[in-house]
Amino acid sequence: MIEYLIAATFIGMLFHGIHRKVIARIQQRPGPPIWQEILHALKFSFKETWIPETASQALFVGVILVAIGIWSAALFVLLSGGSLLLLFGIYMLHKIVEHGTGLSSGSPYGKFGAIRSVITAAAEIPLFATIAAVYLFTGSLAISDIAAYQQVHGPLLFIVPPAALAMYLVILTKVYYSPFAVIESKEIVSGYKTEHFGVWRAALEVGFSLKTFVLLYAFVIVFIGLLPIWWTLLLMLAILVSISFVCALTPMLSPYDSVTVQSIATGLIVAALAVQWVVMA
Amino acid sequence: MFSLPTGQIGGRELFVVEFGDVVNYFSPYTASLFAFALIFTVIVIISRPERMVEIAFGGDAYLAKEIPTKDLAFQRFMAIACGLATLAAVVSGDLFNFALFTSMVGITNIGIVAAVRSRHVLNAAYQYGIVAMVATLPLFGAAAITLATTGSLSLWELYRAGITVPFVAKAFLVLGVMGEGMAPFYVAKAEITRAPGAPYILMIHVSSLLVFLRVVEIALSM
Repeated sequence: MIEYLIAATFIGMLFHGIHRKVIARIQQRPGPPIWQEILHALKFSFKETWIPETASQALFVGVILVAIGIWSAALFVLLSGGSLLLLFGIYMLHKIVEHGTGLSSGSPYGKFGAIRSVITAAAEIPLFATIAAVYLFTGSLAISDIAAYQQVHGPLLFIVPPAALAMYLVILTKVYYSPFAVIESKEIVSGYKTEHFGVWRAALEVGFSLKTFVLLYAFVIVFIGLLPIWWTLLLMLAILVSISFVCALTPMLSPYDSVTVQSIATGLIVAALAVQWVVMA
Repeated sequence: MFSLPTGQIGGRELFVVEFGDVVNYFSPYTASLFAFALIFTVIVIISRPERMVEIAFGGDAYLAKEIPTKDLAFQRFMAIACGLATLAAVVSGDLFNFALFTSMVGITNIGIVAAVRSRHVLNAAYQYGIVAMVATLPLFGAAAITLATTGSLSLWELYRAGITVPFVAKAFLVLGVMGEGMAPFYVAKAEITRAPGAPYILMIHVSSLLVFLRVVEIALSM
């Protein structure tokens, strides 16, 4: 398992680097090398590190371990063909990580990031639509059953495209430089991550790169099916590049606009799913 | 003696813990929720609160608030109680106990908010208190309707394919949990900027989220 964790972490960081590079090239900037995020994590690992005097120490450190823990567990769930509901639960628990990271330092910037994380709970709603649609069509929430269903009936991407769109929206919400990334936007410095520096930031980056890997991998397995590893990685990269295009061409929304857009998009997706379900029934 | 009929929602049953009539079960799903609640309960027990830093508008100055630890003792106690109630709710094996521990989560959430000595925060606690109290009606109503129509509150029975739980009972159950778990919206309000005690405030969010994740599993499985 440990070799999968290490590989997923480095691939996730490499994906973050590619994401930055693609955005830069679209915006006609040279951009950093694609391994920049790996260098960042290594650099942070050897920087002088301490805990801010005002922080709640146990929470300040504990929440980082929780971030790595939940996304390691999510990777295990995916690899073992476990429950999609459990994966959904872990994704929801990431909200606690954002919230706890922001609140723990006592910094007003972190706190604003944490508050924004709560008010953008609408970002989680599309995942409900995904889970419900997958369950309705496949009759199971076990990832292994969903993969087996697709081997017989073809990719869910073509059977329930609105559900795939909902999950795509979820991934888009969670990547860096997303139009919905209001919790870490620059007017509040780095938002909930502002006071986590040095080794703490490196550890957070490990957790977040695992998150990126898991979400992209989950999309491929749930909506396209089990494929050879190189095909899977290639498809994950293709999805990421398409997201980079969205991020490069879309301004960051204000918190209330972000919630409004996500809510409307989710409403439309749910309506489309309902219509499709009624028509097919 | 106990064997969960559904394998596809929360995974297969791993083991059962009995406390007399109170029977709890651990599946991969409930065990994960339990582990997460346990981690944050431990964090609450060992954490000291942060000191809030505030920016003085109109300049570069900032100041750190000094909050005496004893002022937050009740908030900490309520957060630990909330953690324990959450632990029980996420592994509960019958609908009544689930409703009971969920309502305890609601009550302790109010306590965490109400422990802060600020008129604005107390107003928020009062408002959430009303919502949480009202929500106990659909919550226990769901258990009552389920018992009246199926003759059982045991999830082992209710998960069986032959037993149909009325949709209204499921809807009431989810509605009740939403009411009890209303408190996270408190942190999105301006009052949060006045409320210290990050580890304890965070427990509001943790408990509500975990209980919500549990009710999704119960509603889908029944």
